[in-house]
Amino acid sequence: MSAESSETLRALRRAVADLTASLPDEGGRLISLGIASIDGALAGGLACGALHEIDPAVPLHGGAAAGFAVALATLALRERGQAVWIQPDFVAIETGALYGPGLDLMGLPMGRLVILRVPRPRDVLWAMEEALKCRAAGVVVAELASEEADLTATRRLALAAREGGGLGLVLHHDALSRSQPTTATTRWEVASARGERDRFGGLGPTTFALSLVKNRCGRTGQWRLSWDHHERAFVAAASSLPVAPAARDGSPARVRAG
Amino acid sequence: MNDAAQRLGLRPGMALADARAMYPALAVAESDVAADRRLLDAVADWCDRYTPLIGLNAPDGLVLDITGCAHLFGGEAAMCRDMLARLAAQGLAARAAVADTVGCAFAVARFGAAALSSPSPLVGESLPPARSGGRGGGSGSFAPNVPHSATPTPDPSPQGGGEKNRGGAIYNCALVPPGEMRHALAPLPAAALRLAPETVEALAELGLKRVADLVDLPRAPLAARFGEALVRRLDQALGREDEPITPRLPVPSYVAEQRFPDPIGLERDVLATIARLAAQLGAAMERRQDGARLLQVALFRADNKVYRIEVGTGAPVRDAARIARLFADRLTMIGDACDPGFGFDMVRLAALVVERSEPVQAGLTQAGLAQSGFMQGGFICPDDDAELSHLVDRLGARFGLRRVTRLVEQDTHIPEFAVAALPASGGRRTEDRGRMDQILHPFSVVRPPSSDPQDSLSPTRPVRLFGRPEPVEAIAEVPDGPPARFRWRRVLHEVAAAEGPERIAMAWWRDEAGRTLTRDYFRVESRDGLRAWLYREGLYGRETPAPRWFLHGLFG
Repeated sequence: MSAESSETLRALRRAVADLTASLPDEGGRLISLGIASIDGALAGGLACGALHEIDPAVPLHGGAAAGFAVALATLALRERGQAVWIQPDFVAIETGALYGPGLDLMGLPMGRLVILRVPRPRDVLWAMEEALKCRAAGVVVAELASEEADLTATRRLALAAREGGGLGLVLHHDALSRSQPTTATTRWEVASARGERDRFGGLGPTTFALSLVKNRCGRTGQWRLSWDHHERAFVAAASSLPVAPAARDGSPARVRAG
Repeated sequence: MNDAAQRLGLRPGMALADARAMYPALAVAESDVAADRRLLDAVADWCDRYTPLIGLNAPDGLVLDITGCAHLFGGEAAMCRDMLARLAAQGLAARAAVADTVGCAFAVARFGAAALSSPSPLVGESLPPARSGGRGGGSGSFAPNVPHSATPTPDPSPQGGGEKNRGGAIYNCALVPPGEMRHALAPLPAAALRLAPETVEALAELGLKRVADLVDLPRAPLAARFGEALVRRLDQALGREDEPITPRLPVPSYVAEQRFPDPIGLERDVLATIARLAAQLGAAMERRQDGARLLQVALFRADNKVYRIEVGTGAPVRDAARIARLFADRLTMIGDACDPGFGFDMVRLAALVVERSEPVQAGLTQAGLAQSGFMQGGFICPDDDAELSHLVDRLGARFGLRRVTRLVEQDTHIPEFAVAALPASGGRRTEDRGRMDQILHPFSVVRPPSSDPQDSLSPTRPVRLFGRPEPVEAIAEVPDGPPARFRWRRVLHEVAAAEGPERIAMAWWRDEAGRTLTRDYFRVESRDGLRAWLYREGLYGRETPAPRWFLHGLFG
């Protein structure tokens, strides 16, 4: 391919992306995940002012998908901003409501989170659009459990995200909503992976098996990441596993079993 | 009892058998006090179009403070005519009187008909000879400096009213000119002074049947003989003593309204009107450095139904565009419940709760701050707060303020109570939080915000918690040990690793509620990667012979 034709191709790609609003603005804020290979695939990091989808690989891994969203929100809110989390009522009943202490431990402080519960699934789209337009909302997470998020709806969301500059995360719950084409910049399939045991055989760090199945900015890929909630950072799983300090082991609150 | 019955000589309080004996063909209906009351409330709502200050004069009267309002309707006489004509069109017979004091207006409206027809301090209208069943009464209202207030009184017996008014446009309207209370009251019966029946009887025994007989009597003996109440009522009627009106609805601090000669029905028009009114309201509030915390739009439908739509805000608002947006959101959510019918002929915007709000320097925008490098250092940007509070208000306007929440940590070790979702609209005020703590947990000790008490590679609390823990079937290798496998939502999960137990005992003062069983929490990871928070309820052997298992939450 000659240099000229690749130039044309890039211009065409850009034009298409502009039409669908699926590419983030160039020069927008990027959120580094702290793992070189992922940041490379994302051309620097997860783009703010754009929409990203997170799917559980199977419904069983909904908790992990939520955990991944919380981790991304934590990274995005490092400096400033507030998170808005939109949840339809029945999702809260079906998969559990957000639990503050757990979010806090993951790294997303309760003081920086506004939770909206909406009565109907389609209200989520309206609310998310409004929240994304707000410049004060650094991250907007919306949980969707229906096929409402079609191409038109997600395009509106993407435009709103571009206007507000926040990170838009759509958390899906069922396969129906996943099969639809959307204008999201990336789509992640998240499975919960078994973390490494700590040296006493106890539970290891929260570990995700990530699969980037759609990426408008670069190539796709698969990774295994652990979330270090003390450092609030991703680490590549099974490479350098932090070791729990032995001094705390004898404390009565930490009785080990299994 | 309607007018016809009144003319036949029937009186309230008469035994039904006596009445039937006089007129066997009498139609009798049970009196429905509650329905009468509802009707009166509806009429009071409707009267809101004349003045915001309306008091109830149960069971069948209303008091309106029309100070400063009458000129909007072309004067007191025209206002009364308009009011009575509209009420008549609804099939209600009403009598109105305008006077300087509530007492005087009350007396003239309820007792004035016969006595006042000849000396005629009345305007133009002729009064029908019979009063409407002794039920249609009226009273007037009073404002300290500017005299003149009007009172229509609906007659809650629609048949009677309809009948009378079908005969022609005869309006029961009496205007007492300023300062003429004494003259107007003199010929009225003593009962017109709102006295207890016993007092009226006692006065009658002495031949004191009219107000004129009382007015000039020495006050001290009168008070000694008949009680202070009599003198006070007399003073109130004559304007020697103030009598406040207890308003039915809170009187708003700021009001803007618009009337339409032709009703409007389109949502677009209503919203445009609200936006215009919001601009007026905002300007008025700005002058006095106020901002609204609670706003209300009242939509007066042409057929006399009134819709009131309220919107609360987290921080004082006076920006017209914001107010308009809030109501636009609210209206979309209300949708069909607010049926315009034949259209609205008046829209009123009122600020019910206001708070002082200092002027904000315009131009200190986010872009400006970003340039000056303010935002990187983690400074709290005032614009951010304002924007977020506006977002919260708008989401709250659409979905209800209770649905937009912030999680606030509570001082308890019981997992499901460890955090409370409080409305986000109150802002992030620490004093609120302290107060909530006090209310929810009066015996608690202050503890610093959550830090992981256990050192673990993964968080010890789940990101999602079920409001109602889900029962699971679990098998443990030893009675006190962690589960080896469990069945949740019909799927069997093999436990690959578990940590626990974390023993959480319920609070001892909950004993009576029966929730005393101690819980042993385990964090487990299944072979499929499900990370769940399970607990066993009850200590095996000590609290229960067969502990049950529950799944309480899911980890990230």
